Amino acid sequence: MNIEQIQQQVIDADQLQIVGNKSHLKFTSSPTLEMSLYSGLIGYHPEELVMTAKSGTRIKDIESILGHKGQTLPFVVHDHENATIGGAYALGSPELRDAVLGVKIIDGQGRLLNFGGQVMKNVAGYDVARLLVGSKGKLAVICEISFRVLPKAYAIHSTSSAELITPTPSAIRDYIEHGLKNVFDPNGVFV
Amino acid sequence: MFNTQQLLKALPKDSVIIGDENTRPFECDGLSVYRQKPLAVVLPTNLDQVRKVLSLCKQHQTPVVTRGAGTGLSGGALPLENSVVLGLSKLNKIKTIDPEQQLAIVEPGVRNIAISEAVSQYGLYYAPDPSSQIACTIGGNVAENSGGVHCLKYGLTVHNVIAVKMLTLDGEELILNRNEDGLGLLALMNGSEGLLGIITEITVKLTPKPERVQLVLAGFDHVRDCANAVANIIEAGIIPSGLEMMDKFAIEAAEDYAKAGYPDDAQALLLCELDGDDQSVKAELEQVLNILSTASTLKVSKNEQERLSLWQGRKSAFPAVGRLSPDYYCMDGTIPKRYLADVLEKISQLSKHYGLRVANVFHAGDGNLHPLILYDANTPGELEKTEAFGTEILKLCVDVGGAITGEHGVGIEKLNAMCHQFSADELDVFHQIKAVFDPASLLNPGKAVPTLHRCAELGSMHVHHGELPHPDLERF
Repeated sequence: MNIEQIQQQVIDADQLQIVGNKSHLKFTSSPTLEMSLYSGLIGYHPEELVMTAKSGTRIKDIESILGHKGQTLPFVVHDHENATIGGAYALGSPELRDAVLGVKIIDGQGRLLNFGGQVMKNVAGYDVARLLVGSKGKLAVICEISFRVLPKAYAIHSTSSAELITPTPSAIRDYIEHGLKNVFDPNGVFV
Repeated sequence: MFNTQQLLKALPKDSVIIGDENTRPFECDGLSVYRQKPLAVVLPTNLDQVRKVLSLCKQHQTPVVTRGAGTGLSGGALPLENSVVLGLSKLNKIKTIDPEQQLAIVEPGVRNIAISEAVSQYGLYYAPDPSSQIACTIGGNVAENSGGVHCLKYGLTVHNVIAVKMLTLDGEELILNRNEDGLGLLALMNGSEGLLGIITEITVKLTPKPERVQLVLAGFDHVRDCANAVANIIEAGIIPSGLEMMDKFAIEAAEDYAKAGYPDDAQALLLCELDGDDQSVKAELEQVLNILSTASTLKVSKNEQERLSLWQGRKSAFPAVGRLSPDYYCMDGTIPKRYLADVLEKISQLSKHYGLRVANVFHAGDGNLHPLILYDANTPGELEKTEAFGTEILKLCVDVGGAITGEHGVGIEKLNAMCHQFSADELDVFHQIKAVFDPASLLNPGKAVPTLHRCAELGSMHVHHGELPHPDLERF
């Protein structure tokens, strides 16, 4: 599967459920967009502490490549051994969000968009790459993710993952979350 | 039409500043080439007053420009002609310090360094340290997602903020937390440049002060060797708390000014700071000295006084360069580190082409360049030439996979450069995000994101897989 094929699927579908290796999902209903078919490394530069991977890449495979250079992910994914980086991104965690540097996404209208980049410091434009961490596949297809990696010795401190809390519901929060859904997926393709 | 008398009625007299002379101190921020006086400046002392200002501005469709200490370098706090400047510097209380959980809850007008000073007694500090830290406010830091020397190891503002409270233009409060399930709204607020909401309270993460800190200074005969040393240190599994580089021009200027003992015959200089517990610093120091063994000069700080004095040259580099020219323009691009030497070479070629001198002082560890272009604003056309040169540097950064701003923000300054980094569709998404938070577009309008019209006029719309300049540079 390539980017153009993903775009075509998004454009053709009325509704689409984005899935990785389904290590977290119990069942699926709508037609699915199988992101596990879009996997592999785009780039890895140990001296930059940066890796870019297609979202269907298994975390296990990423860790194995990083391990050869004495590096590791700065976040833990307690999950199935087939868990993908895209799935972990969609579920979200503060540590994963911290590590994200950039994303290539396809929005609900099939537009290919890039936010963030492959550098540690980047304050050009709103931080969409970190905004979409935790978006549960409801806003956009996350195709490629650039993230920070760490030498193993430095990662020890960040292995404890904090429990996610449910924010207190409020009218203004609902309004903003609905608004953002509409920005990325105005026709409600992603369910 | 907005009547400033209404502000005077709604707020205490000493919280409202009107009149040509009185508003002059607020006509610009740290980027002083752009100046504009606002309708009025308000300096509220509580949230109720902030709400009153927002309500009046909404009622009269008057833009609000939120301001911290006004130290920003991209014109983010530049007033608009018919705007009210909402200065939050009087909201400066540290509300809670919790040494156990290593956090502090502060108002937006608290100065960056004041947090570290207040928590120092507990052996803690606030890690992000933009160079303006004695003056800049934490609210401004969140708005800009500020960096500093230590972010290579300790992260940017976004990594050190646990929660914020913010107000929408309607005065509704939203509490955003780092650990909440769902979208990263807190991350979105970091670096939003006052376009999405008014930040009224910030919970920051505090970091334990390291047991030992040591600084290594290395001089090199070739820029490329210095750049390679940066990559080698990181690849060896070491993350220094600071990894700074200076070019020959900057070294000479700094040494002439600060007399810090820098080797003024070196072509490039590296400052590598290591911190942590006694043992790890000792081990890392040994490794670093090994990697730097080819340097022509090598110094290691033996005590705190020596460490600070070695930093002195770097810390005074900007004023030192400032002495050599009537004006200088500080750029702020980022690049993947492996292009450091190539990009520096290109900048030097551009410098010859434009006939303008450049000094390079930068955070090498995270590829954040700060080229200082020397010019004379009184020579007709020289500012324009300088801006054109600066824009070319930023384009170069984007072309090798970097960004047009690492820590200074877009503000008003880099609107044109944004057209180079983002496509029309991407800019459209940014505009729509603003509209969700601020449908009336009254919060710092016109900053941070260029209009599509502006980019089209500029004719430099982002090239996708097309022909790129500098084809000799290998790409990501």
